[in-house]
Amino acid sequence: MKVFILEDIEQLRDHLATQRQVFTPQHTEGSTELDWLPLTHKTKSITSAWPVLPTYPAKQFFFPDREILFQFDGHAFEEVLPEVELQILFGVRSCDLCAIAYQDQFFQQDPYYQARRKATLLVGIDCKQPCEGGFCPTVNAGPFIRDGLADLACHQREDESWLVLAHTPEGAALIQGLNLQTADPNLITQRSTEESQIAAGFPSAVHIEAGIQRINQAQVPAETWQSMGLQCLACSGCTNLCPTCSCFTSYDRPIADGIERERCWDSCLYDAFQREASSHNPSADAGQRVERFWFHKFSDAYVKTFDRYGCTGCGRCEKTCPGVIGVHSVMKRISGTL
Amino acid sequence: MKGLMTPQPIRIAEIYDDGEASRHFTFEAINGTTHSAKPGQFFTLVLPGHGEAAFTYLSLPDADGRFKALIRQAGSLTTELFKCDTGDLIGFRGPFGNGWPIDQLLGKRVLIIAGGIGLPPLAAIADHLIADKNTQVALIYGSHSPTDQVLKYERSAWHMYMPVLETFDHPSNNEQLAGTPLDHVTEIEIKPGGKPEAILTCGPEVMMDAVAHYFTQNNLASEDIWLALERRMHCGVGECGHCYLGSSYVCTDGPIYSWQQLTQLHRQTTA
Amino acid sequence: MDATTHNISKITHSICPFCGVGCGIGLRVEQGKITGVEPLTHHPVSQGSLCAKGWSTAYAVDPIDRIKTPLIKENGEFRPATWDEAYRVISEAFSTAISEKGPDAIGIIACARATNEDCYAAQKFARAALRTNNVDHCARICHSPSVAGLQQTLGSGAMTNSIGDIEKADLIVIFGCDPTENHTVLGGRIIQAKLAGAKLLVVDPRLTRLAKMADLHLQLKLGTNIALINGLLHITFANGWEAKEFLNSRCENEEALRAKVAEYPPEKVTAITGIPEEKLISAARMYTEADRAMLSYGMGITQYTTGTNNVISISNLALVAGQIGREGTGINPLRGQNNVQGACDMGALPNVFPGYQEVEEPANREKFAASWQQQLPEHKGLTSLGMTKGALAGEVRCMMIMGEDPVVTDPDQNHVRRALEALDLLVVVELVMTETASMADVILPAAAFSEKSGTFTNCERRVQLIQPAIPPLGEAKPDWQILGELANHLGYSGMNWKSSEAIFDELARLSPIYQGMSYPKLAANYGLQWPCNDQAPGGTALLHSKEFSRGKGRLIPVNHADPAEMPDEEYPLFFTTTRLHFHYGCGSMTRKSPLLERETPNGVLFINAKDAETLAIGPQTRVRVISRRGEVETRAIVTDEVPPGTVAMPYHFKEAPSNRLTNNAQDPVTKMPELKACAVRVINLENEAT
Repeated sequence: MKVFILEDIEQLRDHLATQRQVFTPQHTEGSTELDWLPLTHKTKSITSAWPVLPTYPAKQFFFPDREILFQFDGHAFEEVLPEVELQILFGVRSCDLCAIAYQDQFFQQDPYYQARRKATLLVGIDCKQPCEGGFCPTVNAGPFIRDGLADLACHQREDESWLVLAHTPEGAALIQGLNLQTADPNLITQRSTEESQIAAGFPSAVHIEAGIQRINQAQVPAETWQSMGLQCLACSGCTNLCPTCSCFTSYDRPIADGIERERCWDSCLYDAFQREASSHNPSADAGQRVERFWFHKFSDAYVKTFDRYGCTGCGRCEKTCPGVIGVHSVMKRISGTL
Repeated sequence: MKGLMTPQPIRIAEIYDDGEASRHFTFEAINGTTHSAKPGQFFTLVLPGHGEAAFTYLSLPDADGRFKALIRQAGSLTTELFKCDTGDLIGFRGPFGNGWPIDQLLGKRVLIIAGGIGLPPLAAIADHLIADKNTQVALIYGSHSPTDQVLKYERSAWHMYMPVLETFDHPSNNEQLAGTPLDHVTEIEIKPGGKPEAILTCGPEVMMDAVAHYFTQNNLASEDIWLALERRMHCGVGECGHCYLGSSYVCTDGPIYSWQQLTQLHRQTTA
Repeated sequence: MDATTHNISKITHSICPFCGVGCGIGLRVEQGKITGVEPLTHHPVSQGSLCAKGWSTAYAVDPIDRIKTPLIKENGEFRPATWDEAYRVISEAFSTAISEKGPDAIGIIACARATNEDCYAAQKFARAALRTNNVDHCARICHSPSVAGLQQTLGSGAMTNSIGDIEKADLIVIFGCDPTENHTVLGGRIIQAKLAGAKLLVVDPRLTRLAKMADLHLQLKLGTNIALINGLLHITFANGWEAKEFLNSRCENEEALRAKVAEYPPEKVTAITGIPEEKLISAARMYTEADRAMLSYGMGITQYTTGTNNVISISNLALVAGQIGREGTGINPLRGQNNVQGACDMGALPNVFPGYQEVEEPANREKFAASWQQQLPEHKGLTSLGMTKGALAGEVRCMMIMGEDPVVTDPDQNHVRRALEALDLLVVVELVMTETASMADVILPAAAFSEKSGTFTNCERRVQLIQPAIPPLGEAKPDWQILGELANHLGYSGMNWKSSEAIFDELARLSPIYQGMSYPKLAANYGLQWPCNDQAPGGTALLHSKEFSRGKGRLIPVNHADPAEMPDEEYPLFFTTTRLHFHYGCGSMTRKSPLLERETPNGVLFINAKDAETLAIGPQTRVRVISRRGEVETRAIVTDEVPPGTVAMPYHFKEAPSNRLTNNAQDPVTKMPELKACAVRVINLENEAT
């Protein structure tokens, strides 16, 4: 890994824009919402929205809400793979980078995901303060970028200059031509120390820790899940905004001379998610579905495969859930810390 | 993996009615392309414009790529499939899933217990075990009533090669066995030695659970009891998420599980 | 094969096109297509949430199945036509009908899903271009009694408080509505308030989700709202729990109300409603004792032959308890469509101009005639059900229906079909081929909400801007533009607006409640709540805080009356209609989502386990439901969410249209049909087969 000093983060951003299309979190015109949008001359500094996460994680760049799988012309089925212009996601936060790594592994065999992913380089930014509802340190997903999860990781220093960590050869190639000065190795050590300080500044997450334990010991009474099931309005908001959620369904759409099959995001909170053609439903109770969702996020059973929990501590589910069963509410309830 | 979600065209070669709202389908590959599959694996059929659904191999693909399935009309896709005729072209993806643990069954006394539409997933493994002269196999098949029975031709052949008991919740005459397969489990003899050393079962989950409990109580190890599960399966490759069972996906880790594996999966959650 | 890239190009902020809550929604555009949505974190109503419908909006406006050109029916088949040809066919038929029968031979149904600008254009088209007051919309079958009832008691028919008041209330009363299903994000805010310590009182014949969470659930029999409220008032007065000072200073006609409710002692009320006396007392105590009690109601109040009296009764209750005029209190009708409040505000009603200004008041006519440069009709027009009736009688000869599907959504489907068939010309302006559109002679392609600018007014009177994310599909146009061009063909040139903003400026000038609003002001504020004018330049979150719109709050004694059709030997079960979280109206938008479409089968009958047992009905059993007007086949869902003796069906599904069964007996004041109660019998079809 090579580390450089950068004076101006916008200099890097504009340099990247000369090489590939750049997407970065920014305020949609005339509003305070933070969204992933193409970089334009109007885009403000990446630090202007600090420390807010964009509404969506970056997953829709690789696993979009809807995409075509194949077409059928009456005789043959033809796979339709996406052809994506080379792009850079600039300003991805650590929690979302951990989620991308998680999905990279989950979708390893998936040609659609991989086509989009391979066209993309990731430039991350270390979070310097807790965001509202975020608890990345508790699930080992931040606040600083884990080694290897971004092509470039940017870190703002006390004096407002930046460290740029080139984790991959592609990342190193991106900054060639900027003639950046190599950083003193001590600065890397300093960065690690700083991360523990910032992590210590996050609000208490004892409810998350205790909840994880309860889930893994299957200690939460069924009635607790059922009462939370009653609060699940089946809107699909949590699964849509969750950076690691990956469930999908597919459906056919008519086109000239045939059909095309699209897949779209699905949600395990829907009653019909597991319902079979016979109308038998292995997860007919909303409480079971709520339990399953959190099991998927926090069970040790998945750590074997992914080397981490399915939750990266972004807190988006808490913000979007109309029924007050986002991560903090649920973990408080099941850990008895409510 | 290229082609992961894209079907291959196949042709419907033969159709006949077989049991209540059920039909026996034979499919053949187009352009002589064939594939190999194991007993207990499954595939999906794609009806353009109507979606995709999973079915089990009744017989595995032969050298010409012909294979069979017994399909009951249940949802919108099967309703549409029942409108198809021989010669129609549809889509196919597969094979998927783990299949029955053949290596652990050969040379043993194997009892197969099927309920209702759970018989077809056991047909290919039954044929496979019958063909092995060191393996002893017997079948108990429970149905709601005589008109609900499926696989009439297959069953009449099996009667020649292994002990077969057929039970009915609602028999139509006194000669037919009334009750569930478990009610008659002691009446079936698997020579030599009598008692089964492995159980294969497929049917309603309540029946399978009862079978598993019965045999564990009768000193059979839970790793020798094998169940074929049904779940709503879409992608077949462990991605779409619909067929979860605890931390397992039935389409890749299953559909065949030992009772030992299942009890572990059930213990993962409370609800 | 085409290359497909999915790169986000922009996000357009808009307002969700489904219910009346008015959530903020971002439309994600990729390569000129709307591919997804996102919630708006800072929107004051939705605060980062959306419901299942909102999340599926991209499907709702998907190009698949959309009508992209004008269509003219020839020999029973539709063929594409040019706009000019379509306008000619329509204007000729309209002119013929007018010359033979007069302007009242034409009826216009405006659309509660369209913008204020579209609705304003629809009523102006009727009044100024055609010179008839025959203009109405689906508020007729949802909240017309709210407008009529609250107008009499308070002087204003809209939600008195704001959605944010939910968090300020100590007691939340949910009366005949199912917010977690139909107004999900608002329902979520009720759950939030309940978890934060507010008490919850639910009045509903069904065991709804909120009823399961409630501190007290009054599970009254269908159609006994007035008896219940009179009973609660009886108990209140008997115990001296009424808000004496509030009654003295702010209300009138108290004695008459006292005399009336004296006739409703608890024993009698228990007998009518089926609610035990202790619960009646608890409810009366809870409501009158609460510091701030916020009451919301819905179709369980309005969709009865006693709809207007039911609303008056609700008003009596709130006034006697003094639970109105302060934050965290009030009478809050939850509106069904995204812009049903706006469609009413715009005067898409047969009796009022924009801003609820009576058409029969000469001063109002003069004001509008001067602005519109046209002589205006003097008498009130026909309601939507009046138009179908008129069509059958040969009085109404042509109808133009903007984006509504009365064949599925209006009572007594067979009657509606016969009426539409009897017309000389039916014009439907639509996104997709609905059941009603398929009966049309001419179909005009409408631009979806995501393809035009304009404003929607949510149930808390918040007027919010929408803007186009993409251009109209094919040859589609916004309703206002279609109506303006058609008006030109009919010789009226007063509707040639250049933009929706020009319409808004015109309507704001003419309606005092909108007078202080403009597009820039709306854009800067996540909308503004009416009345917004010189006295309230920032809009009004709370109505009636110092005095009621009519001055004093009027208490009006009302009597209990049974629904027009009660269960009997032949039709032994009560039948009621409901809505589901996953669908909206006739389903023409929600049923395009593969997820929402999968979630519920194409029609269901909810039946209590006790009744199911009697009929040997199990889950998914095929059943036939028969009323005096028609029959429907569907599948059963056995549930404790409906009480024994009552079955319920959602009305979204054309495959199992509940409105083949419903009664079109009407509220005498508003002509609201009794969609919430009729009598049916249920047959188990699987039993019949064996």
